[in-house]
Amino acid sequence: MAQVVIFPKLGQTMEEGAIVKWLKKEGDAVAKGDILFEIETDKANLEVESFFEGVLLKIYVREGITVPVNTVVGFIGAAGEKVPDQPPAPEAAPAPAPAAAAPEAPTASPAPAVPAAAPAPAPVAPAPAATPAPQPSAKPVVQPAPAPTPAKRLVISPRARACARAACIDPARIKGTGPNGRIVEKDVLAFLSAANYDALRITPAAKRLAAEHEIDILSVRGSGDGGRIMVEDIERAQRRKPVTLSRMRQIIARRLVESKQTIPHFYVTVKADITDLMAFRADLKAQGRSYSVNDFVLEAVILSLEEFPVVNSVTDGVTVSWRGDVDLGMAVSVDNGLVVPVIRAAQTLTLAELNAQAKALAEKARTGKLLPDEMVGSSFTVSNMGMMNVDQFTAIINPGEAGILAVSTGRQVPTVVNGEIKIRTMMAMTLSVDHRIVDGSVGAQFVNAIRSKLENVELWKALV
Amino acid sequence: MFDFDVIVIGAGPGGYPAAIRAAQLGKKTAIVEKEAFGGTCLNWGCIPTKTLIASAERFHHAAHSEAFGVTAKGVTFDYAVMTERKNDVVKRLSGGIQGLLKSNGVEAITGAARFEGPNRISVIQPDGVTRWLSAATIIIAAGSDSAMPGFLPKDKRVMDSRAFLDLKALPERLLILGGGVIGCEFACMAAALGTKVTVVEMLEDIIMVLDRDVRRVLRKRMEALGVTFLTGAPLTDIVVKNGEVSGTYKDQTVTGDLLLVAVGRRPNTAALDLARAGVNVDERGTIPVDKQGRTNVASIFAVGDLVTGSIQLAHAATQQGVVAAEAAVGMKSTVENICPSCIFTSPEIGLAGLSETQAQKLGRDVKTAVFPFVALGKAMAAGETDGFVKWICDPVTGQVLGAQVVGAHATELIAEAALAIRNELTVDEIGNTIHSHPTMSEAWMEAAHTFHNACIHLPKR
Repeated sequence: MAQVVIFPKLGQTMEEGAIVKWLKKEGDAVAKGDILFEIETDKANLEVESFFEGVLLKIYVREGITVPVNTVVGFIGAAGEKVPDQPPAPEAAPAPAPAAAAPEAPTASPAPAVPAAAPAPAPVAPAPAATPAPQPSAKPVVQPAPAPTPAKRLVISPRARACARAACIDPARIKGTGPNGRIVEKDVLAFLSAANYDALRITPAAKRLAAEHEIDILSVRGSGDGGRIMVEDIERAQRRKPVTLSRMRQIIARRLVESKQTIPHFYVTVKADITDLMAFRADLKAQGRSYSVNDFVLEAVILSLEEFPVVNSVTDGVTVSWRGDVDLGMAVSVDNGLVVPVIRAAQTLTLAELNAQAKALAEKARTGKLLPDEMVGSSFTVSNMGMMNVDQFTAIINPGEAGILAVSTGRQVPTVVNGEIKIRTMMAMTLSVDHRIVDGSVGAQFVNAIRSKLENVELWKALV
Repeated sequence: MFDFDVIVIGAGPGGYPAAIRAAQLGKKTAIVEKEAFGGTCLNWGCIPTKTLIASAERFHHAAHSEAFGVTAKGVTFDYAVMTERKNDVVKRLSGGIQGLLKSNGVEAITGAARFEGPNRISVIQPDGVTRWLSAATIIIAAGSDSAMPGFLPKDKRVMDSRAFLDLKALPERLLILGGGVIGCEFACMAAALGTKVTVVEMLEDIIMVLDRDVRRVLRKRMEALGVTFLTGAPLTDIVVKNGEVSGTYKDQTVTGDLLLVAVGRRPNTAALDLARAGVNVDERGTIPVDKQGRTNVASIFAVGDLVTGSIQLAHAATQQGVVAAEAAVGMKSTVENICPSCIFTSPEIGLAGLSETQAQKLGRDVKTAVFPFVALGKAMAAGETDGFVKWICDPVTGQVLGAQVVGAHATELIAEAALAIRNELTVDEIGNTIHSHPTMSEAWMEAAHTFHNACIHLPKR
């Protein structure tokens, strides 16, 4: 009997996601453990394995469509087995993560008999209040990925449309003179003449490509001999078309705007003298114990957060709650995005454990192996751009937190030490805090606490 | 103030056009040449080899035309006369270049140049006197030389292509190290004149820049001409003993009277003292430049064989030279992307633009449109039915992205393809262009029709 393949719920907070790539086609043989598809959640891209063996009989949800978790996306069964053309309703019960399995597959006649019961949305689905469909077949709650809103419907005659298409121009820019402003062929021809269309020079391949991608060649600047439009110019115009941001970027965008609009940021910068720390780190390395500068920064932040609980808190503007544990977020840049894996209860870890966890999470982040639950619930974040050769920067607070520390590159600079100019390695750190609960003086004390810890090598000798 | 607006170092096919173009644009220009005007191309490359190949082909046709109803008995050749004719052609062309430079008011200076600073060079002239020159812009066009790897014995029986061209007689048995373009051209020429040729190539096949179908035609024909190919392993333990050169290929000993070394070319950058001008050179000794030929030093350009990633062809260098001269006066010219290559083997080969092999490497989807000469009237009439033309096209738009042709007159036929590719024509424009009948060039039109399965002169597939 055919088994349904569902869109898995891979984290406590995961509500929806999109299949970015099917690795099997309809009709492909599937073994247990084969990767069926890759999904994109608001946190990460993940591979989903098959729990069944057989043939992928049907794909319901094509690539790029966002669906709620537990949506039926396909069927696996014996070759030739019949499956419904329309997918059955999403599984109501959340499947155990990360199982792509459903307890029981529907039979070949899946349509529920009673229309009213048919489109019952799954509880986890953030679907609009479903109006009962008149048809007995259940439609999945599918939300197409947000696309640019289509332009107002154009009133144009078929001849005029064909004429515009043959000329590779966008008829929307033409003013119609027909009844109700309808664009007729004469309008297109007049427009082409007014736009000096005949003087336009374009290579045959470029024109073919423009037609293929519906690019208005009047809007393209030619780079060839005498301003001739070349294939490269059309490709450049093609790249100017709006592209839907990845789920990850959309989430980043939403959260950053939310942060900047609702959290009054206050910034304070200090420079830590890490000369001695660097020497100590080199000593450790010579002994075969390898720590990154970031490990020391993280530990200094953890210790300081214990001293300043208000920075490890969150406010809604009316109440303030201490977060208790230091769940330390660590910003890691990944391809076309940023993820913040979380080191849980970081105050309980030794420096060696911290180093191991930070390293493992960063590696998972870079290889796209982080699970959604590993990226939520941080109480304070460190963003380290030390490797990026920057003097100083300010970071945006993660909503739900009271602060973020932006760490820059350590540089050798002439510094006054005991009245003498010395070459010292200085590292700028800028703290961003939620001014609603952290006042300037507290922010200053907090960031100075981090600084003094980094500058205190005796402390590190005790900690390693 | 500088002595000149523009100084060009090297008077080969990259340098002299650069100098002439700079002079045309009103610049006070000098050109420095250490050896022979016209450079490698004219003196020891394109021109002399093609002159000898012309002689070899004459002989071959004279001796093998029975099928055409022409029988010539006792056809012989005199290699000494062939080389004399070659020397004469070279001399006339070289004189022509000096005349062109003079008529454009370019000061020609003989001697070896080296940089003394970003705008200054010294030239050691043949009389031993050093001349110091300065210029606002310097264009480096010093070319390349045959690479002679250190493991080869230093002996007069082991030579590069340049020395080979000075031979007064051909050897009976010729061993060629390197199955690239140069190795194969010399192999064809010598084989046509009766020399027993063996080509050893370390890579899996000869002339790997060609698509496999093209290589297959060439290899088959060259083998029919008597050339032996030993590919996929190096020639090791090369020694000169008892008047012959021998080496080991796999477990086999191969011998020859001479060893022609054709394993690539080295840029002539070391002697220029580029560091004194601050010009960056990469680990292979070539100079990285932008799309106008400008080096990391804004007032210094480089063109031709010594440029990083250069295609090492005379006509590529010429175009780069002209662009560099124009860039020197502030024009926006840029180096062309489409450069046809011609290989004067027997049969000839022409290629331009994207190859099938490259497309595969790039992961780019292409569709080919092929027409064999055996289906062409003119090819049949001329007895030249080996080979084919091939378009490499975008499968959606039909744009011709590349072309390869192997067969008679391929080096002339590729010109049409280069024009079509550069101007981004599709198979439709080519198919709709009337091509004269009966000619070899009809093959391009016929091949273009096959893209839409609309070829009249091939059986239905």
